[in-house]
Amino acid sequence: MHSHHTEHLYKILVIGDLGVGKTSIIKRYVHQNFSPHYRATIGVDFALKVLTWDSDTVVRLQLWDIAGQERFGNMTRVYYREAVGAFIVFDVTRPATFEAVTKWKEDLDSKLTLSNGVPVSAVLLANKCDQGKDGLTNNCTKMDQFCKEHGFVGWFETSAKENINVDEASRCLVKHIIASESDLIQSVEPDVVKPQMNSSKIPSCSACLKF
Amino acid sequence: MAYRHLKKFKIDPILYMTEWFMCIFSRTLPWASVLRVWDMFFCEGVKIVFRVGLVLLKHTLGSVDKLRSCQGMYETMEKLRSLPVHCMQEDILLPEVSSLPVTDALIERESNTQLRKWRENRGELQYRPSRRLHGAKQIYEEKARLNPTLSGSRLSLSSMRRPSPPATPALAVQPESVVVSEGLRPALPSPTSNKAPLGPPRGTTKKGKEKQREQDKKREREERDREKKREKEDREERRKEKEREKHKEKEEKRLQKEREKVETRQKKERKFSFRRKESSTPDSPRNSGAEATESSAAHDTYF
Repeated sequence: MHSHHTEHLYKILVIGDLGVGKTSIIKRYVHQNFSPHYRATIGVDFALKVLTWDSDTVVRLQLWDIAGQERFGNMTRVYYREAVGAFIVFDVTRPATFEAVTKWKEDLDSKLTLSNGVPVSAVLLANKCDQGKDGLTNNCTKMDQFCKEHGFVGWFETSAKENINVDEASRCLVKHIIASESDLIQSVEPDVVKPQMNSSKIPSCSACLKF
Repeated sequence: MAYRHLKKFKIDPILYMTEWFMCIFSRTLPWASVLRVWDMFFCEGVKIVFRVGLVLLKHTLGSVDKLRSCQGMYETMEKLRSLPVHCMQEDILLPEVSSLPVTDALIERESNTQLRKWRENRGELQYRPSRRLHGAKQIYEEKARLNPTLSGSRLSLSSMRRPSPPATPALAVQPESVVVSEGLRPALPSPTSNKAPLGPPRGTTKKGKEKQREQDKKREREERDREKKREKEDREERRKEKEREKHKEKEEKRLQKEREKVETRQKKERKFSFRRKESSTPDSPRNSGAEATESSAAHDTYF
């Protein structure tokens, strides 16, 4: 399905409550650095990350860093438009930010779906994992359960400061985006029978088993 | 030109303007320019914010050369986030801002047009837009006209008064003796009454409006009550107002485009005076050609 030397451009949202480290994660991921100083994002910020996915595929990720303050809540619809994936971030040291994850996910799904009506892939990030090892993320099965219930394709403990799991989380999300994209192409032309499509079905499912 | 470019790549004003407008350029411009812009903003009102935005857009995306280097949405956004340094310098930016023919009336008219469109496309608004007052000068004049139902009087008079009463019991003595006393004590009935809680704040307002002193005292209490009610309404209004402003910015981009047309026309026919064109063009092309693009633009973006 993915022809040789293809280039994908994906718009990815990074959302979550105020000060959970969305901007820091992007900074770590794209610019490989970290700043301990807090500077609130106003509106939206952008960053571009180019990934060499495999020998024939280049993936360009357009990361949309969306302000977490509540006052921007009614602008999110404009920001969400045409996105194909999302990171929802919370702060492991602040339980309230985890509770807000559900709100963010609902907001996302109510305002944005793929063209076939399926919600976009979302990965949950438990950020600042270098700072606290309290109950929240110790309970892996509980987190897995939470992801399943709320439609996340997976979750990661991350640290923008210590560069933990940021690349891994992104790879997971991209993998699911590619998978759902091929689902989308199939669903767009349901009546067209293409003999070569049989072989392409395999990668779309294996991704889910990864973790 | 810039407007067409932004539209082509679906770059909604909300993507780059939020920071400009919400922070009144304090995160964008160099400090010297920020101070100048804020001065102008407080004095002349919201039109300054629009003007600065337009000047910045013009310098960033206002020519074919500039647009050529940013083909694509991301590239354009990058450019808008790292504006050309020279155009933000105080001595280059400010003259352009003051010469830009974006008037209060123009903004008001665009605002009304957009509101009408919004109502047509999306139904009635949930709030009642209040009249906008453009800057300290107009607020002051409005206040002088003694129309307390308008938001202007709240912004100037009462906001000066409000914070002062709670401060009086503790602070009254010090500032009184240091700053205010010389000019005002002779005017007040007795020196002892000065130390009463309500003395100093009244004194400061009297400074500005000596003729209306007596009327002020009566109005003061009424205003405080009204003010509390208004403040609640106002928070909601402000939120909505931001949305409205975004619409207007969009319109202004179109106006800018028209202005560019005017400029090119000027080169061709130099017989007309500069002023005549400025005043004639905003009407004629908008009603015919641009009207169509405008309505389609209003359709495709917001919410």
